[in-house]
Amino acid sequence: MSRAPERSRIADPSLADAGEQRIAWVARNSPVLDLLARRRLADGALRGKRVAVVVHLEAKTAYLATLLAETGAEVVCAGSNPATTQDAVCAALVRRGVEVHAVRGASPDEFEADLLAVADTAPEIVIDDGAELTIRILEHRPELVARLRGVSEETTTGVARLRALEAAGRLTFPAIAANDAWSKHLYDNRYGTGQSTLQAIMRLTNLAVAGRRFCVIGYGWVGKGLARYAEGLGGSVTVVEVDPVPALEAHLDGHRVAPLYEALPDADVVVTATGSVDALPAHALPQLKDGCLLANAGHDDREIDTGALGPGDGVRPGVTRHHLTDGRRVYLLAGGRLVNIAGGDGHPIEIMDLSFSVQALAAHLIACGGLAPGVQRLPAELDREIARTKLATLGIELGL
Amino acid sequence: MSGLDGAGKIEWAKTWMPVLGAVREQLVEEGAVRGRRVAVILPIEPKTAYLAAMLAEAGAEVAVAFQGSMVHDDVAAALAARGVEVFARRGSTPEEELRSFAEVLSRRPEVVIDDRADVIRLAHTTHREALADLIGASEETTSGVLALRAMEADGTLEVPCIAANDARCKYLFDNRYGSGQSTVAAVMDATNLLVAGKRFVVVGYGWVGKGIARRARGLGAEVIVCEVDPFAALEAHHDGFAVMTAEAACSVADIVMTATGTRASLPPAAIERLRDGALLANAGAVDDEFSVAALRDRALEAHRVREHVEEFVLDPDRSVFVVGDGVVVNLSAGEGHPVEIMDLTFSVQALAARHLLRHGAELEPRVHLLPHEIDEGIAFRKLEALGLAIDALSEEQLRFRSSWEPFA
Repeated sequence: MSRAPERSRIADPSLADAGEQRIAWVARNSPVLDLLARRRLADGALRGKRVAVVVHLEAKTAYLATLLAETGAEVVCAGSNPATTQDAVCAALVRRGVEVHAVRGASPDEFEADLLAVADTAPEIVIDDGAELTIRILEHRPELVARLRGVSEETTTGVARLRALEAAGRLTFPAIAANDAWSKHLYDNRYGTGQSTLQAIMRLTNLAVAGRRFCVIGYGWVGKGLARYAEGLGGSVTVVEVDPVPALEAHLDGHRVAPLYEALPDADVVVTATGSVDALPAHALPQLKDGCLLANAGHDDREIDTGALGPGDGVRPGVTRHHLTDGRRVYLLAGGRLVNIAGGDGHPIEIMDLSFSVQALAAHLIACGGLAPGVQRLPAELDREIARTKLATLGIELGL
Repeated sequence: MSGLDGAGKIEWAKTWMPVLGAVREQLVEEGAVRGRRVAVILPIEPKTAYLAAMLAEAGAEVAVAFQGSMVHDDVAAALAARGVEVFARRGSTPEEELRSFAEVLSRRPEVVIDDRADVIRLAHTTHREALADLIGASEETTSGVLALRAMEADGTLEVPCIAANDARCKYLFDNRYGSGQSTVAAVMDATNLLVAGKRFVVVGYGWVGKGIARRARGLGAEVIVCEVDPFAALEAHHDGFAVMTAEAACSVADIVMTATGTRASLPPAAIERLRDGALLANAGAVDDEFSVAALRDRALEAHRVREHVEEFVLDPDRSVFVVGDGVVVNLSAGEGHPVEIMDLTFSVQALAARHLLRHGAELEPRVHLLPHEIDEGIAFRKLEALGLAIDALSEEQLRFRSSWEPFA
């Protein structure tokens, strides 16, 4: 079973029933985790292994953590962003016997302390998001690096960070780029973020998408999903890119492609999805039109330079109004944090069923040992098996 | 409950309703509703609240009421604080709702802005004393207009009614884009499930059904349409959707959404065909487009699995899930239509009320359309607010359109 749940730091254990209901609904809609991952992990490879799960702590993540714990791992969890933690889900996890260090709205210092508390459990396997825990172990707990059998990384941003570490010669353990599995980025980043981001924008504002001009900054998998769903809901899309290849894709997908300074003045909604920082930098803010909505769909809270927007007044839950110098007002959603999770329930469950199946199989692979150090993909055969299982649950057959 | 959140939501709605704001200025300036009694029977959420508040601010005495499943208490509280009489609370019983409608009628409204013709029907039956002061009514929904036309046909309609629903600035936008976006969004929010790849059955291909089908497709679903009207069914076919009977569609459905404006749109045989895990939601104005009560009777057990989702276990290995209690899902499990859409709808309503107050005495007790120039004026104001310019017919085109002689 898991590590000491009584060492947990959570907001309110009495919320467990509400969290339990949410996890049960996820369980009902996660057939791949149940059919494939649970079966494969039943070999006991994870028994007694210390696994840290540092991913946005909501019901889908909780179900993954539970599944790992049920197959014998000692699981400890923290959120990857204090704005996306759901306290009720944390309470349910603790009641299920998992150690959790996460509170919604934690200060930067508290968040840091929570991650270090997880690091101090000396995890052997890390399921990471944005490489947040991996980086902290390397920086602040170098003595624990030797205990690390491997990490598996959820996001484009995190994989980029791990590759940078590898290039600097600091990656002495295997790191599976779960994000780069087909069963992950083709679905999660595109359909998952696409639907849930548009959904969060609609929910937070109660505004129409039809007729709105969207400016999508970044045309990676996330940007592609955003553009597609914005258009599917009746919006029109301008794409801003720095890489000529995706810019050309955007053009052939039928979107207007323009430099940032040309795209912003007529945008009704600006969504950042670069996986970097400063996608909407301070110097571009004067280009925004009055009444523009700003949202971030990327991993890092700094895609939009919210500092340069100055303080805002809350006008609705999750919406703040900021005044630009000449009297124009813009509306920032979810404080510039990942809008689909900070302002909603995150990705659709069926999508995370795929993503977390990748994570569970990656954790299993690490537990089995024998991997070389460095960033690597999930073996193609496992990746295909996830897709094949999903198709089977849909009753879809291939071939003749 | 605190009115603070509600007040903020009403202000937010106002920000995105420029046309209604201009109508408000007009009403304040000309005093058309000053001292007049207006009843607003609409779901109590931020946009309707702004309509009621702006009528009150233009000097009308406004009373509002509605069915409890579509009342947002924070908004109701904020509305009361703005000087509107509110007779509604979330979770009210049908008896309480009847009493609130009676309360509203006891204020002797001169104009009723009605929804599903509920209060107009009461005024013609159990509360006939209200007819003495009632100049006329304006009706919001397709199903309400149907009821009013039935009253007109059998000679029972005693006051002029404007079919606000039938204004082009209403049904072309509200029923299609408004319901389309917000009902699909409500199901996504309520379930946290994916739309892409789902078989999404739309029962009824009127304006609401058209909007739902389009948005569901835009989100990646495979859409199947069920109809009883051959023209609408052919439209669906030419829009590229599969067309099937309800029974056939239900046997493959992941999501079923009703949008017929009538009751019993899903026959028991169709419900029996639903597969394990199917979601059911109603996007229409009528509460029993499919019968939740019948499902409850049929089910081995029923229990809530998320805030707005109830599971009905039909067989030991087969459950269906009702989203939003079978009541119009964008309001029971969401905040209703997008604000900008309601800017159009409620400009229709406010100007319909104004028209009735000014000219109601000259109108026959029939169902009337909003005068064309008022409808068109709203569209022009919206285009202007959006910064969109359009062309005008040239002299030559106008001549062509008004002449009949064959051209050489």
